[in-house]
Amino acid sequence: MINNRTNYTIQESPHFEIFSEDQKEQIFNGMMRTLQYTGANVHHEGAREVFKKAGCKIDGIRVYFPPEVILKALSTVPPVTEVFPWDGDESKKIVVEKKRSYFGPGPTPPNFIDTETLERRPYLRKDASLVARVCDALPNMGYVQSLGSISDVTNGLADVYEFADMVRNTTTPIMSWSFTREGCRDIHRMGIAMAGGEEAFRARPNYIFYGEPISPLVSDFHAIDKCIYCAENRIPQVYSPCAIGGGTVPATHAGQLVVALSESMVGVIAAQLINPGTCVIIGGVQSILDMRFSIYSYGAPELSLLSAALTEVVHYCGLPMYSTSGCTDTKKMDVQSAMEASLSINAAMMSGANFVHDNGYTESGLTGDIFQTVMDDEIISMARVVERGVEVNEETMAVEQINNVGPGGHYLYEDHTMKWFRSHWMPSLMDRNSYESWEEQGRKTMKDRVLEKTRDLINNYEGPRDKVPGKADEEIKRILQEAEERIKKEEPKKQA
Amino acid sequence: MSMDLSKISEKLISGDVEGLKQMTEETLQTDVNPGDILNQGLLPGMDTVGQRWKDGDMFMPEVLRCAKAMSGAMDILRPQLAEGDLGNAGTMIIGTVAGDLHDIGKDLAAMMFEGAGYQVINIGIDQPNENFVKAVKEHKPSLLGMSALLTTTMPRMGEVINSLKESGIRDQVAVIIGGAPVTEEFAEEIGADLYAPNAGSAVDIAKEHFEKKST
Ligand code: B1M
Repeated sequence: MINNRTNYTIQESPHFEIFSEDQKEQIFNGMMRTLQYTGANVHHEGAREVFKKAGCKIDGIRVYFPPEVILKALSTVPPVTEVFPWDGDESKKIVVEKKRSYFGPGPTPPNFIDTETLERRPYLRKDASLVARVCDALPNMGYVQSLGSISDVTNGLADVYEFADMVRNTTTPIMSWSFTREGCRDIHRMGIAMAGGEEAFRARPNYIFYGEPISPLVSDFHAIDKCIYCAENRIPQVYSPCAIGGGTVPATHAGQLVVALSESMVGVIAAQLINPGTCVIIGGVQSILDMRFSIYSYGAPELSLLSAALTEVVHYCGLPMYSTSGCTDTKKMDVQSAMEASLSINAAMMSGANFVHDNGYTESGLTGDIFQTVMDDEIISMARVVERGVEVNEETMAVEQINNVGPGGHYLYEDHTMKWFRSHWMPSLMDRNSYESWEEQGRKTMKDRVLEKTRDLINNYEGPRDKVPGKADEEIKRILQEAEERIKKEEPKKQA
Repeated sequence: MSMDLSKISEKLISGDVEGLKQMTEETLQTDVNPGDILNQGLLPGMDTVGQRWKDGDMFMPEVLRCAKAMSGAMDILRPQLAEGDLGNAGTMIIGTVAGDLHDIGKDLAAMMFEGAGYQVINIGIDQPNENFVKAVKEHKPSLLGMSALLTTTMPRMGEVINSLKESGIRDQVAVIIGGAPVTEEFAEEIGADLYAPNAGSAVDIAKEHFEKKST
């Protein structure tokens, strides 16, 4: 059929916006004013040298960024970056560009909900492979983080062991973290081993690195040192704070956005000066300090609002956004966590954030709960339905079929129905049973179904462990051994 | 001349930092006993603040403002106080341990202790073990507070306690620890005297400890 429509506007998916263009510009300018007149502390001589050469004013550890330096850095950020699963599975490829969202768990809580006992306990090495494997199987986890920091390996090597175990248990790209540049390098060597060489990694990076500045307006030595390492090696990286509204940043949301944007921009500028065109993602956890219980709230509705608002401003800067959802202040997966996660996942989805982390965080970020991740996976798939919107054309309007069926009757026999009904969303956890079947099947609650699905994956889903090339496997073992030796050498230094 | 010291309490509860300083100075000019200003004015005021906070009638920033007012008044009052007036609210050293850059929880605790009348010396984040020991030697505090937010830095707290022992000064100071991953069991394990799950309770826990000790 000839499309003879003219001057026709298409908008299929929901339109969700917090700010006007003017407001985004205002926040952006707030960041420019802050970096120019207040500046930021950078505890790294090498980084300060780089900033100085670029035209920044330096006063001790304080760096003041003139607008032209900021604008120049923003002019070299890449509009799009690709991250590849190590086995070449195109369906798991990540395209980092505006309006594409990938959800995942979060990094490093000290505790984990034991999948057998359902009790909170310290996060163990075995949990990293478990999380990787379960996430590998979940269709809505677009990238993976560990949901914990390993407590039962050599102190100081939790980062390296985590990556070593996870990368061999999932092909979904991982977002890794490390204590220092040394850990960062070990992880990178493993990434290279999985890619099949340094050149291959540059062509097809297979993981993303995550680092954090400190609110307000501080880049500590290790944070910026790792940022520089990633830039040098063209590792796509996140540089984003955990800003605490009313605590480490202003209590007003706009003020929080200005500070959070400013401190992240320090990493963007450093990375672009060192290696123009390297991928830097900013954003972070944006929520408030609960002034009654003095906790950093992961279930607050403000988290949804602030994250969506920051997404708009970050996209305005031409940068990808690292957002937050699927997390909760309650202690383990329950009704509260479902409520909080539904709200934050939907807001993050609508906002179009690129990476959305912390799906599976409970206890305000102190515990990782894979059951929550599995429930979040279902919520994410529901939110995607809303986000996909409504397609409007001759076929989908079905005026002809409406005429065929006419008033009264039904659509169940229609070819059109046969063709289209499968596009309806199918729940994997939600209960839509009749009362009788529900009763017959044991009156299962959402919690029961989540436990069942998760444990089934844990027990029966193998993941890609067997597909790991022998050479890469050997190399990873060697890197771990060398890391042990490195730490042994570092330890006495620390004591001295 | 007798003075209605409840006015001091009220000024404190309203969180008027400058106003309370002025009122404290003015009251000191009268014949009121400095100890009474503390015990009948300031401390009852802070008790009310603490109670209202627990009841959910007051929030963190309001409480901290009152604590700041208290601390300002104490700076004026402290030189005038007689030995014993202060009870155990003496000097406190507080800091975040080596390798750990988390500061807000530690700062909250520091401010709460200031509010309770302590002279708080906040030595900052990422403090090497020896700095804690040095500070204890130098300031002879009644309380040493350590904060750690990372499981990897928690062991530093035990090391500091051991260093205090080695220096023969462990008994001079009560050690209180806190931070998100820190637990009661961990405190026991490393031989800390006290553990506080949050900044608000820390002050009460310390108070209770000293009261028990003095009876
Ligand atoms: C002496 O007496 C006392 C008494 C009571 C005391 C006390 C002392 N100290 C504390 N208390 C108690 O009273 C306070 C109020 O009631 C409470 O204090 P809190 O400090 O707990 O509470 C504050 C009021 C609010 N809470 C906070 O301020 C902490 C929030 C979380 C999200 C957090 C933040 C904000 C940050 N972080 Co960090 N951070 C997390 C935290 C997760 C969490 N939910 O705790 C945690 C602690 N961090 C973690 C990690 C891993 C890291 N962080 C890092 C960095 C940061 C930021 C810089 C981004 C930022 C700190 C900014 C700042 N200015 O302080 C890195 C380490 C840097 C370093 N060397 O220290 C890094 C390693 C991340 C990285 N990849 O680089 C995790 C620890 C995991 C573990 N195994 O220990 C973590 C649980 C987050 C997570 N979910 O993974 C009580 O604990």
